[in-house]
Amino acid sequence: MISVSSGQHRSWIPFATVFVALVLLVIPVPELIRSFLPDWVSLVLIYWALALPDRMRLPIAWGVGLVIDLVVLGIPGVHALSKTILVYLAKHLSLRVRAHPLWQQSVVIALLLGIELILFVIVDFAMTGNMGEVHRWTAVIVGGLVWPLVYFALRRSRHLANLGR
Amino acid sequence: MVKSRDGVVRSLVPYLLLSAVLMAAYLYLPSVRTVAQSAAVIGIPVHFLASLPSTALKGMQGHLTTADQLRSDFEAMRQRNLILQARLHRFEFLENENARLRELLSAMPSEAEQVTLAALLAVNPDPAALAVMINKGSADGIFQGQPVVDSGGLVGQVTKPSLFFSKVSLITQEDQAVPAQVARSGLRTVVYGSGPGRLLRVPYLDRNADVRAGDLLVTSGLGGRYPPGYPVARITAVERNLAEAFMKITAEAASHLGRDREVLLLWLSEKEVNALQDPMETEEDDD
Repeated sequence: MISVSSGQHRSWIPFATVFVALVLLVIPVPELIRSFLPDWVSLVLIYWALALPDRMRLPIAWGVGLVIDLVVLGIPGVHALSKTILVYLAKHLSLRVRAHPLWQQSVVIALLLGIELILFVIVDFAMTGNMGEVHRWTAVIVGGLVWPLVYFALRRSRHLANLGR
Repeated sequence: MVKSRDGVVRSLVPYLLLSAVLMAAYLYLPSVRTVAQSAAVIGIPVHFLASLPSTALKGMQGHLTTADQLRSDFEAMRQRNLILQARLHRFEFLENENARLRELLSAMPSEAEQVTLAALLAVNPDPAALAVMINKGSADGIFQGQPVVDSGGLVGQVTKPSLFFSKVSLITQEDQAVPAQVARSGLRTVVYGSGPGRLLRVPYLDRNADVRAGDLLVTSGLGGRYPPGYPVARITAVERNLAEAFMKITAEAASHLGRDREVLLLWLSEKEVNALQDPMETEEDDD
């Protein structure tokens, strides 16, 4: 475990992890892989909402969502909406989910990502009239599978940031 | 952390309403659209960092190629250059001849086209969106509706120019239509996108029309959005059904649809740009 000498909080670290996730979201990868990749920003937001439910406020989630919308030149409000709902749910589940073993957490994370995808499908359907491809849904399962990795990486960053429970 | 229903209403609902209002405003108010496009500058550091790995990889490739390979590549390119040069001479000759013939017909001369090279930044995070991002924006003079081509043919059009990067919608999007003509017979039609994949729809050719598999469809220039002569699609199959008024035609996009590293942005001539804008304005210009 990393020992931090000073008791100072480094509250910029969670924001830095969100930024890294945002970069990962738009990084060019082959088309084939892309549709199977989870939304990294969602995973990171869920982590912070579970770990620090009192500090992770809804305006932050909404703002991050809006930034995504602007970065990908989408319709502003779509990600803002989905990320707010995601963080709201994660905050409310935090006490229960934190007590679960990791694999059970993965299931819950996949469910949360699924709820977000349902929102996207609804928006897509309203805008274009088609529901998108079926393999979008594999990203939800992949998101659950990579959750342990995200969890350990972010827990390390949380210790670095000296933000405890 | 159990909250009452009132808690939900007070904490979550305002953000949901705010998002909904924002979406509606974006869709129905053009001014909000402009604001959103300028606000997209905050994406520049993100796109810059995201493009670093592929840029670095490209640089590494240069260092890692052996001298032999470079020499053979160079030789191949030199030969290709020679062939293209020879063709270009012929092209120049034809262009001159064309200009003379146009003069004879006292028609408008087709102006020389200006192009800008743009690199692909990142594919849109949502593959279902059928759009790509390029590293040129309104700061480089990119405008909404600007045609985008690559080495194969027409890729699509700029649909969302932001200050330093833009979104290009591919012609395979279902709501995209390209006025085209069969290169062999000059027959005019409209080519529609058909969603994910490389296939395009050509729904409105009647069953006696002169088309066959292998025909190339090029932009016809009608509608004023795309300049004429760029390959759009190649017809792969033609199915004539006597019971139906129109033929069933399958066509495959001629371009690489944003899979190339670079694309070309076309500048239309002044007159064509004006035609894209409000017709009332153009009339005033003519006066």
